[in-house]
Amino acid sequence: MAEERSLSVFDRRLAAAGQNGLREFLSFRLGADIHAVDLARIREIVSSPPLTEVPRAQSDIVGICSVRGLLVTVVDLRRRLHLPESPQTRLSRILLANTDSGEVIGLLVDEVRQVIRLAPSEIEITANVLGADLADHVLGVGRPDGEFIILLDLDSIVET
Amino acid sequence: MAEGLDKAREEFFSEAQELVEALSRNLLSLDASLKSGVEDPSVINEAFRAVHTLKGLAGLFAAKRVSTMSHRLEDVLDGLRLGRLALTPEVLDLLFRAVELYNVALSAERVRSDEPLPQIDTLLDEFGRVGKNPSAATNPLARFELDPAMLAVLTEYEEHRLRTCVEQGLLLYRVRVDFALATIDKSLEDIKLRAKEHGEVITYLPTGASTSIDSIELDLLLASSAGVEVLEASIGGDQVQIYPIPVKERVSVLQRETAPPPRNMSLPELSSERREPMPSDHSVEVQGGQGAAALRAIAQTVRVDIRKLDALMNVVGELAIVKNALGRMAEKIRAEGSRQLGSELHSIQRSFDRRLGEMQSGILEVRMVPLGQVFDRLARVVRQIGREMGKDIRLVITGAETEIDKLIVEELSDPLMHIVRNAIDHGIELPDDRKRVGKPLAGTIALNAFQKGNHVVIEVEDDGRGIDEKALVARAVVLGKVHPEEVDGLARAEILNLVFLPGLSTRDEASDYSGRGVGMDVVKTNIGKLGGVIDVQSETDIGTKITITLPVTLAIVSALLVRIEGRVFAMPLTSVAEAITFDEQAIRVVDGREVMTLRGVTLPICRLGRLFGLAPLPGAVPPKRRYVVVATLGPRRLGFAVDDLEGQQDIVIKPLGKSLSRVRGFSGATELGDQRVALVLDPTALIEEMLSAAEVTNRERRVGLG
Repeated sequence: MAEERSLSVFDRRLAAAGQNGLREFLSFRLGADIHAVDLARIREIVSSPPLTEVPRAQSDIVGICSVRGLLVTVVDLRRRLHLPESPQTRLSRILLANTDSGEVIGLLVDEVRQVIRLAPSEIEITANVLGADLADHVLGVGRPDGEFIILLDLDSIVET
Repeated sequence: MAEGLDKAREEFFSEAQELVEALSRNLLSLDASLKSGVEDPSVINEAFRAVHTLKGLAGLFAAKRVSTMSHRLEDVLDGLRLGRLALTPEVLDLLFRAVELYNVALSAERVRSDEPLPQIDTLLDEFGRVGKNPSAATNPLARFELDPAMLAVLTEYEEHRLRTCVEQGLLLYRVRVDFALATIDKSLEDIKLRAKEHGEVITYLPTGASTSIDSIELDLLLASSAGVEVLEASIGGDQVQIYPIPVKERVSVLQRETAPPPRNMSLPELSSERREPMPSDHSVEVQGGQGAAALRAIAQTVRVDIRKLDALMNVVGELAIVKNALGRMAEKIRAEGSRQLGSELHSIQRSFDRRLGEMQSGILEVRMVPLGQVFDRLARVVRQIGREMGKDIRLVITGAETEIDKLIVEELSDPLMHIVRNAIDHGIELPDDRKRVGKPLAGTIALNAFQKGNHVVIEVEDDGRGIDEKALVARAVVLGKVHPEEVDGLARAEILNLVFLPGLSTRDEASDYSGRGVGMDVVKTNIGKLGGVIDVQSETDIGTKITITLPVTLAIVSALLVRIEGRVFAMPLTSVAEAITFDEQAIRVVDGREVMTLRGVTLPICRLGRLFGLAPLPGAVPPKRRYVVVATLGPRRLGFAVDDLEGQQDIVIKPLGKSLSRVRGFSGATELGDQRVALVLDPTALIEEMLSAAEVTNRERRVGLG
């Protein structure tokens, strides 16, 4: 029951996203897995600027930084998705994403991969194969050329 | 030529569209305020201004239907603005319909269609019927050049009497009388009695311009069928001057918005241009001089959207960052060998700094407005409420010239209004009660403002019955805010501070004006949002004093940069009293919290590193000496223990993102100029947090012992 209901929600989200054929996503690596988010929502990719930690903030907020005068709150995507921790490397990047509220939020990822275009047929709506923590934030799974890409729902990630 | 006209016409439509949209937005917020019950007078004013501008534009482009509609709409909004018309859902519905019709009318004008729009006439008719607000054409008062400021302070009853008299065809007179303070009660009654034979004294108001300190000058508004000569003979005298209030040739109450903002009492100004000159030549000269000055002032004043000033301020902030970077660069060059070049760069940086400082204070100055703006509004409210509640109130204002940031003034209006209403409603006793305790019949409310360092202090003081502490505590116990067992242990200040708890009222009956004490908590929150603090002092039967301490401006602040566990934080200098060396030995634990003694006074200490749970950075060496930054806000003091002082810097505070809105203790963040971002501490919130936490533990402890 619960599964069915959640599936229909994902369905709608995806339908809204992929009306005219191909949809563009930006893919990136978190640990061993490849994830992707709606490309239209990403405003910029920056290599890690100095971060200022914010005491008393949620633990998955790594800090704030200034991108040319714009104050950005940076979320550690691993922590938010409850993935195992790993230190930042020189490949780490921050994706600046536009949110519904007009705020720009930074998402810390391990490595930015590429822009991928997915046809609706390449998107599989599978909320249940993934861990429960992740399921809330997942739109579905993309399988271009046999790859396995977790499509994340930016709105739900940012809301938390 | 024709092209130019067309272009101008096009601009008219786009501007009109914007105005209609602005009006619509204002109506929406009015609707919201109607639902929430929190009215914001500035919204009506904005709506009024939008319609007024629209009227002017429409007149210019001969858009007759738009201008007729605006004309009537203006009337309704003016009624709302002056409180003559209540904001009801019905009125709002009409206004919303007006927005739709504006769009219809504008499109019709745009295609130059002359098709009749009967909907507009229907709406105009309905506007005419709204409330008891008579339209301009039927308003009998419109015949007279009455000062809107005076009309605004008339009570319902007075206005009703005024109307009735005018409808009966009586003439209006302004009778200026200089009363000796010692005998004013008797003299006033006397003159009223004599005037009664010929008409009716509608109201009397102080002119604010007495000839000596022992006297008070009043303007009496008199309705009478008699001529000046008859009145002279009856009530005339040395101290009495009688001026008929002129009748206008054309009826238009709507001209009033072009008048300067109503000041206390401008009745004399009104007549000065039409009436014969004042008694002495000297005063005529003064009048002329003032008139000329006023004309010049209009010509040399620019109205600026405060957002533009904000934008400028932001640029100054960014420049300050550049300046800081320059300073560091100079240091670096000096340290790395080229002393000469470094020094030159340094002196350039210093002169840059000075100019920047001038620019910054210049912009800040533009943002400053005198508190008198709010006080004037309060004066009208005091009079009106006092009258309607049957309480005689004397309002004494000092320091109206004290300047404060425009944005703060806007935000201050509501809280002050609330406090003043409370003072009249709960504080000042009815005349009979005052008589019984031997107080003067008229209650006094004093509004005092003055600057104190980087803060502006506003006091609202009344000589009423004071806060009933017992009732307050009892109520707090009923509401479960205070445990019955801890009642005895409460200090007086703690008791008085209970008024800021939500839902407290010491009066059984709610009144129309100040409700049931709901609101002081909101007042406190709003003042807090402005970075201010509010305190209350009260003595039974002597009075109550509310003190508000506010920063002068919100834009750029000087900050002290402090280092805590390797991280840099900024602390606004406005709240920093001093910084002293931290002596671990001097710390004592009292009531479960750390304190030290500073010049004989106990100072609570807050270790920020501990409060924020900051872990030492890897490889950090503990500092040899630490500091205590003493922050003060109003009467409260707290020492923040920090590891190091990094110096002083001007900063622009940027708000933290929405995802950090729940994080307490910071008012925002700022760029330091070297790509680093520092959090800005919010001393108000931190002091509040620390001291209230201490109070809680105190109470717990007392309850435990008891």
